[in-house]
Amino acid sequence: MRDASPHRMRTREIAPMLMLVPAGIGLALFVVVPAILAFVASFFEVPLAGGDWRFVGTGNFERILADPAVQRALLNTLVYSALTIVPSLVLGLALALLTNAAGRAKPVVRTLLFLPMTANLVAIAVVYSWIFSYPGGFANQLVGVFGIPPVNWLGDPATALPVVALVGVWRTASLTMLIFFAGLATMPVAIDEAARAEGIRGLRRLWLITLPMIRPTAVFATVLAILNSVQVFDVINVMTQGGPLGSTETVLTMVWRIGFRYFDLGGASALALLLLVVLVAVGVLQRRTLAGRTR
Amino acid sequence: MRMLFRLATGTALALAVVISVFPFYWMLRTSVAPADETFARGISWVPTRFDFSGYERAWETGGLGSAVLVGVVQTLGILALQLLTCIPAAYVLAKVRTRTTALALAVVIGSLLVPSQVTLIPLFIGVNLAGLSNSLGGLILPFATSAFGIYLIRQQMVSIPDAVMEAARADGLGHTQRLVRIAVPMAAPGIAAFSVFSVFAHWNEYLWPLLIARSAELRTPPLALAAFQQADIGFDYPALTAGAVLVTAPMVVLFLIAQRRFVQGMSGTEIPG
Repeated sequence: MRDASPHRMRTREIAPMLMLVPAGIGLALFVVVPAILAFVASFFEVPLAGGDWRFVGTGNFERILADPAVQRALLNTLVYSALTIVPSLVLGLALALLTNAAGRAKPVVRTLLFLPMTANLVAIAVVYSWIFSYPGGFANQLVGVFGIPPVNWLGDPATALPVVALVGVWRTASLTMLIFFAGLATMPVAIDEAARAEGIRGLRRLWLITLPMIRPTAVFATVLAILNSVQVFDVINVMTQGGPLGSTETVLTMVWRIGFRYFDLGGASALALLLLVVLVAVGVLQRRTLAGRTR
Repeated sequence: MRMLFRLATGTALALAVVISVFPFYWMLRTSVAPADETFARGISWVPTRFDFSGYERAWETGGLGSAVLVGVVQTLGILALQLLTCIPAAYVLAKVRTRTTALALAVVIGSLLVPSQVTLIPLFIGVNLAGLSNSLGGLILPFATSAFGIYLIRQQMVSIPDAVMEAARADGLGHTQRLVRIAVPMAAPGIAAFSVFSVFAHWNEYLWPLLIARSAELRTPPLALAAFQQADIGFDYPALTAGAVLVTAPMVVLFLIAQRRFVQGMSGTEIPG
């Protein structure tokens, strides 16, 4: 005998599947397929206007990596990352801990310290360009107080990269602080009290209790700091356009220049793919934290 | 010793606050200072008189006026599409357990890990081929769904007790009604957090509009501001910083009124009070 239940089972199965369709189409069209195409395109010569792709094997990679401007961009990205990642993490953690101990001022201090993260990067880059402008910007007025002659901060290859890295730290420390702050809030009070009762205080408590407890948070903050640094674009494109003399050119500003200024999309894809190799390594880290959060 | 420690940490925190806030202060100060005071020698903390003409120049000459309109349409258009696509998917991934949904969840998490820079070039080619470059559709459609949104909202819906869902099913509510009447209200904080995150991310997006919006009328606020700075207008810092205020202020206001959801959207976790 056929009863209605198999049929009902099926309709119950179909309704939820339909609910997945719009998002499924979106992710397929705008994430999955482009990601696969990015991989494929890096082995082809890609004409901007459409038309046939020509297979060039590893030619794009060889050409890109042999380009001194690209080598410079890779090195700059490393230097920029070194200048921003660790300071942002240390500052973010320190500020989160200090704010937590700030007593009544805590909500106000927290809000003010979150502000850098809320700012539009282009707007912030415009403001910092003005602060570091030559010769009359605030930075030069400030060093002038100490009798130092004006410095062309953004016009001198020696100072431009440290200055954009400073903006990076200003921004990223605010973000890592937020992450640490949220992480510290989930720490059970009992553990803190137990540590206090045991007489574990100060840096020892930080090292023995707090840091191990917020390890997933610390990993997440590190991942975000790395992603922010390696993919820096907005601030540099507005403040220096990669100059002077390529001294602030980074991987992503280079991808943009090669792809959309020189219209070498195969080359740009190849460089973006090299960036992906780094990001996948970071992504493995992130996946582990995400898996931890799913539980 | 304790006193000294407190004094040291208090000073450090105060200094950090000053450094965090200073660029905002300097932006506001410059935007209302008369042009002749902009390059005055020595540090002038407060302008002697206020001059708001910089805002007029940013709005008219700098094109921020039309850009704000484009920005609002683009941001809200993306948000509407994302909510329409993400919420049903999040519900299914949270409350229907089949092999298909397990696979779909894996695809969502996988998509989360794909950085937007990697998909940038194929997306650009695709949008060009579809004839959508230099159009609002080109600005909005590629963001029609969000793996992060699905993930964040799903996390909230997972915590709805299965018993509640079962009871609703026993009452004869189908999936659509359970989604609308139970899952959406109960996941409201997560949906709000994602909405704040989405508005924030897309109002501020710079690289994608830079590729898509070639004509001036289609410029989004960050794009208009960057173009204004790179245009040959000399060094009209009052107008430039006024433009920066116009781009920044809506998001700072959003942050101030929805701070908890903002933090949740950024960190994926909630903070008490």
